[in-house]
Amino acid sequence: MIRFESITKTWPDGTKALSDVTLDIPRGQFCVILGPSGAGKSTLLRAANGLMKPSTGGVVIDGTPLTAASEKQLRQRVAMIHQHFNLTTRMSVAGNVLSGLLPVVSTARALSGWFKPEQRHKACALLDRVGLSPAHLKRRAGDLSGGQQQRVGIARAFMLDPEVVLADEPVASLDPKISRDILTLIRDAARERNTTVLCSLHQVDLAREFGDRIVGMRNGRIVFDGTPAEFTDERVQGLYHGAHWEDTHETTSGEDESPRLALAA
Amino acid sequence: MTSKPIPVPARGTPLPWHLDPPYNARHLLALILAVLLLLFTGHRTEMDRMVVMSTQAVGNLLGVVDDSQVVRGLSRVAQSMWPPVIAETEEVGRLPDLNRDRLPLLAYIETQERVEQKMNLQTLQLEVTREQVEVLVQPLGYVWTVFIKMIQTLEIALWGTILSVLLSIPLAYFAARNYSPHRFTYTTARGLISLLRSAPELIVALFLVLAYGFGPIAGVLALGLHAAGFLGKFYAEDIENADTKPQEALEAIGAGKLKTLWYGVMPQVLPQYIAYTAYILDRNLRMATVIGLVGAGGIGQELKGRFDLFQYGHVMTILIAIFLFVFLLDQLSARLRAKLI
Repeated sequence: MIRFESITKTWPDGTKALSDVTLDIPRGQFCVILGPSGAGKSTLLRAANGLMKPSTGGVVIDGTPLTAASEKQLRQRVAMIHQHFNLTTRMSVAGNVLSGLLPVVSTARALSGWFKPEQRHKACALLDRVGLSPAHLKRRAGDLSGGQQQRVGIARAFMLDPEVVLADEPVASLDPKISRDILTLIRDAARERNTTVLCSLHQVDLAREFGDRIVGMRNGRIVFDGTPAEFTDERVQGLYHGAHWEDTHETTSGEDESPRLALAA
Repeated sequence: MTSKPIPVPARGTPLPWHLDPPYNARHLLALILAVLLLLFTGHRTEMDRMVVMSTQAVGNLLGVVDDSQVVRGLSRVAQSMWPPVIAETEEVGRLPDLNRDRLPLLAYIETQERVEQKMNLQTLQLEVTREQVEVLVQPLGYVWTVFIKMIQTLEIALWGTILSVLLSIPLAYFAARNYSPHRFTYTTARGLISLLRSAPELIVALFLVLAYGFGPIAGVLALGLHAAGFLGKFYAEDIENADTKPQEALEAIGAGKLKTLWYGVMPQVLPQYIAYTAYILDRNLRMATVIGLVGAGGIGQELKGRFDLFQYGHVMTILIAIFLFVFLLDQLSARLRAKLI
């Protein structure tokens, strides 16, 4: 369904965010990407809808390569759920969910806010599906709790019946109970529609619980790819504190000649 | 138990840390230069004389100093301006359409004696003639005239503000770095905004009066163009500084730029926009009273006319009216702003 073909991304300052990442995710799979901060999880996800342009390599979605020409069409089929929800906080919940339709409605309709009855009905149905109540409809998105905001984000993502959902650390700022609820919601909603999910996480237990497949990333490379059952504790250790430990952490034990203020009494 | 102090190495021990005192010779030099500049420009703008004259005036009022030019000038102005004109009188002979049975509200007809000196063409001597003339007196006539002019001034300010908002929205779109479609449109819009902002209303109005003739058109345009520069700049900067997260979310699903702006930016910056626009309205109300001086309609035009005819009583009425209006509007806009934000 979505295929990353030897993607490399080098930032202007020379750091390599991704090096030669190749990944093929079949339709309907819930694929979790795990890895320490800075491993390139977000960068990989953002390559999938063209928010990040890879230095080399490319993305193919359902047989169509992602290019400047196909980007606008493909983006409508690839929804995104964000770590910080990315809602328009001063706009109503209803407005935020309806904004998920923006690529397909006419400019006049968008600017006037006069959506078709079936579009409004769909927004309500989705809000109901994600567990919000009619009372939330006209509240400002920013007044909702984090978990509720993410529910709005999910409703927005499913407005266009996407074939792929990219979830960029969707539960990083939520507590464990709500994280589980939100991931359940994403997984179930995706299963109902046979939607492919590419979800980055940094909680190992959640990855094992929800993922059909776990992809471990480190320093811009895929270092593990398998089922949750294969993702043993040793592999977790390897992923987070593995052989490349020195690469990411500065050595602090070096000899230092300069005098320092001794704070230890 | 007493706590042990944190051990500090003895003074003079070389440290990699270094903290300078906050001021040095460069700061002192800059201060001296600034003082010199102030003294120089202060003398050129006669600030020294201003202090002397003002002190004299205060001394005169306190009875210490015998004479003060400032006090003399002010009292002369006050004498000629007092009392403010409230009523309006007009000779009945000049009002052919007057219906004596249906006079305007509060108005009455009065007979006044008019004393005129005329030259007798036969004797070539000045003769005093006394004439009985009927005049229509409207006790609050002039106050009413000023009130109407004041309303016109408000209307000029309102339309100036509407015009500036309408003009500044497209300007802001093209002047926002992250939305302007091209470098060229960005530079053009920014240039236009600077141009509009740099031209003072009074001078713009002066030229627009030449183009559109006397009256409110020039006033509305002058206020609108100048304020469009202000609003365009502020709106554009708000768009640039708006939270990028909702915009990214909409960009990710392929919503166009205009729709992203409308759904991802506008709701976030709207309170700011309202605050700026309220400020511009407030500013336009004050400016609208002034631009009439160059003939661009409103109370200012009335003021200028009366001033040129040496009718200082009328001028006083106008000044009181302006003061009252601006004061009331200040109160009103402060309340409005407190409610909106």
